Amino acid sequence: MDGSFRKIDIDQYDEDVLLESELYEPDSRDPAQVLSDAKQKAATVRQSLARGDTAGALAAVLDGAPYGPNVEEAKNLNLQTVVSILNSTKATEILNIVRVLSPDAQDTLMKYLYKGMALPGWGDVSGSVLLGWHEKLTEAAGTGCIVRAMTDRRLV
Amino acid sequence: MSNTLRPYLAAVRSTLTAALTLEDFASQVVERHNKPEVEVGQSKEVLLNPLTISRNENERVLIEPSINSIRLSIKIKQADEIERVLCHKFTRFMMQRAESFIVLRRKPVKGYDISFLITNNHTDTMLKHKIVDFIIQFMEEVDKEISEMKLSLNARARVVAESYLTTIRTHCLIPRFAVHLMNNELHGETWYGAG
Repeated sequence: MDGSFRKIDIDQYDEDVLLESELYEPDSRDPAQVLSDAKQKAATVRQSLARGDTAGALAAVLDGAPYGPNVEEAKNLNLQTVVSILNSTKATEILNIVRVLSPDAQDTLMKYLYKGMALPGWGDVSGSVLLGWHEKLTEAAGTGCIVRAMTDRRLV
Repeated sequence: MSNTLRPYLAAVRSTLTAALTLEDFASQVVERHNKPEVEVGQSKEVLLNPLTISRNENERVLIEPSINSIRLSIKIKQADEIERVLCHKFTRFMMQRAESFIVLRRKPVKGYDISFLITNNHTDTMLKHKIVDFIIQFMEEVDKEISEMKLSLNARARVVAESYLTTIRTHCLIPRFAVHLMNNELHGETWYGAG
């Protein structure tokens, strides 16, 4: 007798089943809008970096970072922008920069650090740079920052 | 300790400390069951975002947290064929004796060499910072252990080759190039390249 019916996940037909989209507030912006925002931010960051204002550039790119489904392109662009800032910062300045970030920006930065480490060899992501930032950020923001990056469903 | 190993282990330590906040949690799907949610994976709301910490492409740690258990998988550095074999033998030896290590998982997660499963029972009966210390110490030791085994394996191979070729020489004429290779070997230059 065919037993394949036993493998069917009947819970998915339950009327109070929990959906992935119910776990967090979706982004109210349109995907196209998110992408153009990310592009605009990349341009501002380049200007700030040229002036040597790393803290300002980092705060700008971490504010309103794209999350959720359907915005892969904007997410990649934003990650690239963040990584370019991280790579161009001197190791001695890191601690001062992460100290002045707002708590929300610190959490978002932590998410980007873990995302970058999950993709070694992607673009110009370098493990040792990210580990250096991770150490300084944990020193400044504490373990709570890691817990918030772990529990926040709004994946960058 | 080398320069990049220290921040790597520090990152694993802080992430593991953050993830090890576990509580008793009964299954929401099956009544009167209490299982590690990270292994069952049936209720999305109790699984947290998996975090990866990587030093480079070949060395990384994956931490998958959930409400009552976490799974930590390690990919150990394997630079060449000898290290790959040694690493496989070593982890296999450990995983066959998994119950003596308590937190060790019998099978690694796909793409990794060795996995640990820490549940709320472990954090109840053992000290949390000692568990973290154990994992960090394991990561430090395993690299050292494998490079030591590789060195002794090469030394042994050299002795074996040497005594084997000496026996041959006493019994028959050996070609000139073999003598040449042997002499090189004695002076520390190996024909197979590994030191």
